Amino acid sequence: MRRNASILLLLTLAGATVLVGQRGRRSFFDEEDTPAPMPSDAGVKSEYTFARLRYPSSRSGYWRGGSWATDYPKADRQFVQGVRRLTRLHTKSVEQVVDIDTDMMFDYPWMYATEVGHWELSDKQAAKLRDYLLRGGFIMTDDFHGTYEWDVFLQGIQKVFQDRPIVDLEDREAIFNVIYRLTDRPQVAGIQMFYSGRSYERDGVEARWRGIFDDKGRVMVAICHNMDLGDAWEWADLPQYPENLASAAYRVGVNYIVYAMSH
Amino acid sequence: MFELLFQYPRAVFSKGEFVLMGGWPRWLLPLLIVAGAGLIAWLIRSRLKDAAEGVRTGWRPAVLWALQSSLLAALLTLLWQPAILVSTLKPQQNIVAVLIDDSKSMAIADEGAPRLQRAKETLSGGLLAALEKKFQTRVYRVSDTLERVAKPETLEAKSGSTHLADGLKRVAAESAGLPLGAVVLLSDGADNAGGIDLETVTELRTRHVPVHAIGYGRTVPEKDLEIVDAQTSVRALADSRLAMRVTFRQNGLTGRRGKLVLRESGKVLASRDLTLGAEGSRLRETLTFNAGGAGAKALQVAFEQVDGDTNAKNNSTARLLNVDNAKPRVLYLEGEPRWEYKFIRRALENDKNVQLVTVLRTTQNKIYRQGTDGPKELEDGFPDKVDDLFRYQAIVLGSVEAAYLNTRQQELLKVFVDRRGGGLLLLGGRASLSEGGWNRSAMAELLPTVLPDRKETFVRDPANVELAPAGIESLITRLTENPAANAERWKKLPYLADYQDAGTPKPGAAVLASMNPGGKGLMPLLITQNYGRGRTAILATGGTWRWQMSQPVEDQTHEMFWQQLLRWLSADTPGRMLASTPRPMLLDDGKVKLTADVRDKSYLASADARVEARIIGPEATGATIEMTPDPVNPGIYTAEWNAEKQGSYIAEISAKRGEEEMGKDTVAFQRQDGMAENFHSEQNVELLTRLAEQTGGRYWKPADVAKLPQEIDYSGAGITVRETRDLWNMPAVFLVLIGLRAAEWLLRRRWGIV
Repeated sequence: MRRNASILLLLTLAGATVLVGQRGRRSFFDEEDTPAPMPSDAGVKSEYTFARLRYPSSRSGYWRGGSWATDYPKADRQFVQGVRRLTRLHTKSVEQVVDIDTDMMFDYPWMYATEVGHWELSDKQAAKLRDYLLRGGFIMTDDFHGTYEWDVFLQGIQKVFQDRPIVDLEDREAIFNVIYRLTDRPQVAGIQMFYSGRSYERDGVEARWRGIFDDKGRVMVAICHNMDLGDAWEWADLPQYPENLASAAYRVGVNYIVYAMSH
Repeated sequence: MFELLFQYPRAVFSKGEFVLMGGWPRWLLPLLIVAGAGLIAWLIRSRLKDAAEGVRTGWRPAVLWALQSSLLAALLTLLWQPAILVSTLKPQQNIVAVLIDDSKSMAIADEGAPRLQRAKETLSGGLLAALEKKFQTRVYRVSDTLERVAKPETLEAKSGSTHLADGLKRVAAESAGLPLGAVVLLSDGADNAGGIDLETVTELRTRHVPVHAIGYGRTVPEKDLEIVDAQTSVRALADSRLAMRVTFRQNGLTGRRGKLVLRESGKVLASRDLTLGAEGSRLRETLTFNAGGAGAKALQVAFEQVDGDTNAKNNSTARLLNVDNAKPRVLYLEGEPRWEYKFIRRALENDKNVQLVTVLRTTQNKIYRQGTDGPKELEDGFPDKVDDLFRYQAIVLGSVEAAYLNTRQQELLKVFVDRRGGGLLLLGGRASLSEGGWNRSAMAELLPTVLPDRKETFVRDPANVELAPAGIESLITRLTENPAANAERWKKLPYLADYQDAGTPKPGAAVLASMNPGGKGLMPLLITQNYGRGRTAILATGGTWRWQMSQPVEDQTHEMFWQQLLRWLSADTPGRMLASTPRPMLLDDGKVKLTADVRDKSYLASADARVEARIIGPEATGATIEMTPDPVNPGIYTAEWNAEKQGSYIAEISAKRGEEEMGKDTVAFQRQDGMAENFHSEQNVELLTRLAEQTGGRYWKPADVAKLPQEIDYSGAGITVRETRDLWNMPAVFLVLIGLRAAEWLLRRRWGIV
C-alpha cells in the first residue's frame, strides 16, 4: 500500500515537473500520435516556433485524436532540429499546438496543418483563418491525398477564400528558391510505402505543389497535395526511410518557413 | 522736479564730466576729509567720556560722527568748486533728422486717432518748432524707403513695409560730413525687415548720433488674432505626411471660436475647429497633411470665422513646400530570419516613395536579397566601398552582430551618417545593440544612447508601449492627428513580442516612445538624434510585427509607423548638391539669398565647382546668375538676387566641375506684397527702446516730448561747445547741508547730548 502511494506521488511530481517545464505551452500530450522525448531546452523562447494547427475533423471524432495530430509531435520536433542546423533561424525545440478557436494563431505567423483532407471548418473558424492569412500569416498544408481528400480540403479552404484561385506553383517562385533551389521535387512518400509498395496514396498519383496568393502575389497558403512531408520528418531517423525523400522534405519545409519570414 | 533740485536737465549729468575747478591740489581734499573725520571722532570721544553708559558707547556716537563728517566733507568739496563739463550743440549749426514712419501700420487707429495722425500732431504741437529754434531740422519719411519731405502734414500711411535700419543707415550716409546732432524717429517700431541690425547701430554709435524714438500705438492689440509663425518642412517626399505647426496669439478674443484651415491652391488639406485660449500668450496648433504629388506648392494657413477680430489680415500666412519626386533607397541588413523583417518589408510595400532594399542572412553562408535594382546589387553582401554604400539614403541594421561588419565597413557607416548625411537605424534583437557588441564598436559614438556594458539585454517577453513627451510632436509617432487621441492610441497598441535595454539616452537625443515590460518600469523604445549631417535612431525591439498580426486587417498602424520612421530616416539625406534659401517667403521685399552646398563623390566639400542658379519667375522674369564660393566655408556657394515682381520663383541650381555634372537641386521662393504691415502691428516698444539706448538716445512717449529738444542739446554729436556748469549753487546741495545739520541737532536733543 505504502509502495503504491510512493509511486503515485512520484508520478504526480513527474507530471508537475513536465507541466512546469512547458509553461506557456498548452499541452496536448493525450492527443499525441507519435510520442517523442521532451527536449531539455523546451522552455527557451525563440523567434520561430513550429505551430501546428488544431482543427476539427471528421476522423476519429471531433477533437480527440483528430487528423490535425497526425505525426504529432515527433515530426515537429525532428523537423525543427533540421531547421536549427540548416538556417540561422532562432528556432524553438518544441512545437506549439494552436487551437483554431483561439486567437493564439496571431502570435504564430507560420502554421502547419496536416491531413486537411479531413478538416471540417465552421464559418467562424474559416473567417478567423482568413483574417490570419490577410494580416500576414502563412499556412503550410500537407499529407492529404487523392480526389476525395482534395474535395474535402476544397470545401474548407473555399470557406476561407471564396474567390482566390488555387494555382500550381512554378519552379521560379521565390518559395522554391529562397534558400534551396527546389526545381526537382520528388513525391515525398509516407511511411505507408513500406506496406503498400507505392509512393502515393488513394488516387493521388502525382505530387501537386499548389498555393493561394495574396493581392501582392505572395503565397499565403502552401498546399502540398499527394505527398507526406510530415512522415518524412517523422521517420527521417528510420534507416529504411529513403534519405533523398527525407532531405527533400526538410528542404521544402525550410524554404517554406524562410519564405514566410521574408515575404 | 529734477531740474528744480539739480538746476540742470538730467542729460547734463548723464553726458557731462564731473570736475573740480578749485586751484588747490586735488589730493588735498580727501586728505583733509580724512583728517577732519578723525578730529571729529577724537572730539566726540573726549567730550562724551563723562556721559552716561548708553550715550558714551554703542552706535549713537557713531551716528553723530557720520553726520558731522559728512557735513565737513560736503563743505570741503564745495571749497574745491565742483562743476560739470558738458558739450552742447551750437545753436543753428547742427542738423537734427526727424524721421516719420509712414508705413501702413501707422494708419491703425488703436489709440483714438491713426498713429501717423498722432505723430503729425506731435510735430505740429510744438516739437518741430522747438527743434527748428535750436537746430537745422530735416524731415524724412521712412518706411520702404527714406525720402525727405517738405510738408510732413501731407504724409499718408501707405507704404507696404518698414525698413527702419535701411532708413537710419541712409540718414547717416546722407549726413556724412555734416554735423548731425541727433535723429528723432516717430514710429510704431513695427519693422518687418528683421529689426535693427548691428551694423546700423555701430555706425550711429561711431558717429555719436543718438536716436530718440517716439513710440505710437498700443503695445497690446485690443481685439486681434495674429498668426505669429507657421513652420513646416521646406522639402518633402511625395505623399509624405507633414505637419504645419502654427503659432498664434490673441488679445480680447478669449473663448471665441475659430477654424484653422490649411489650403493648397484653394483645396483644403487640413482644418480644425478651435476655441481661443489664454490671452497674450503664444498658442500652438499642429495640422497634419499629405504633401501630395511632386512640385512646388504654396500652402496658405488661415484662421477663419473669428468673431470680433479687428484685423483679419494678419490671420493668414503662406509657406512654400517643394515636393520631390525622389525615391530614397533604404538598405536593411538583417542577420537572421525574423518576423520583424517580413513585416517591415510588407509595411514598406505600399510606400511608392521609399525603396527598401534588403539583405537577409538566411544561413551561415547565404544571403537573400530583395528589392534590389538588379542581380549585381549587393551580390557580395553589405557594401565596403563608398560608391556602393552612398547609393543609399538610409541604413537599417537588424539582428546583426558588430563583428559581421569589418572595420572598413563600420568606418564607412560613420562617414555615411556624419558626412553623407544619411540615416542609420538599429533594431533590437538577439544580436543587436549590446548583445551584438555594438557598445564596444567604433560606431557606439553614433548611437543616440549609451548602450549597456553587459549582455542579456534582449528579452523575449511582452512589453506594452506608450508615447514619450517628445513623441507627441513627432511625425514618426503620429498615428492619428489629434495629439491626445494619438497618445491613447499608443497605449492601446498590442504589446511588443520582445524588448531590449537600449541604455541611457545621450544628451541631445529624443526619446519618442517608451515601453513597459511588466513591473520593470519605463524603458526607452524609440530614440532619435542628429549626428553630423545625418541622423541615427534605435528601435529597441524586434517585435512590432505584433501590431500587424494582432490588429484587424484594415488597421494601418504598423504600416504607417514604419513608413513614417523610414521616411524620417531617409528623406532628409541630401544629394551632392543641396540648395536652400533662408527666407523662402519674401514679404514686401525682393532680396533673396541663395545658398548651395556642393560635395564631391565622397561627399567632401567641393570648393572648385562652377555653380549656377537659373531663376524662373512670374511673367517670364528670371535670370541666370553665377554663385560665388564662400571664402570661409568650403563647398558653400552663395548668390543674392532681387525678385522685383510679386509671385512664385523657382531657382534651379546646378554645379559642374570641368565636364562632370556634380548635381542639381531646386529651391522655391515667393514674393508677396502688401502683407508685412499686417503682422506685428502693435507698437514694438522693445525695438524702439533698444535702438535708443544703444545709440545714446531715449525712448519717449508722445506726451513727454516737450523736453526732447533740450535733451538733444547735450547729445555730443555735431558741432558742440564745451560749457562748465557750477554745482555748488544747486538747491539740492543746500538741502543736503541743512538736512545733515538738522538731523544732528534733532538726534542730540532726542538723546540728551547737547
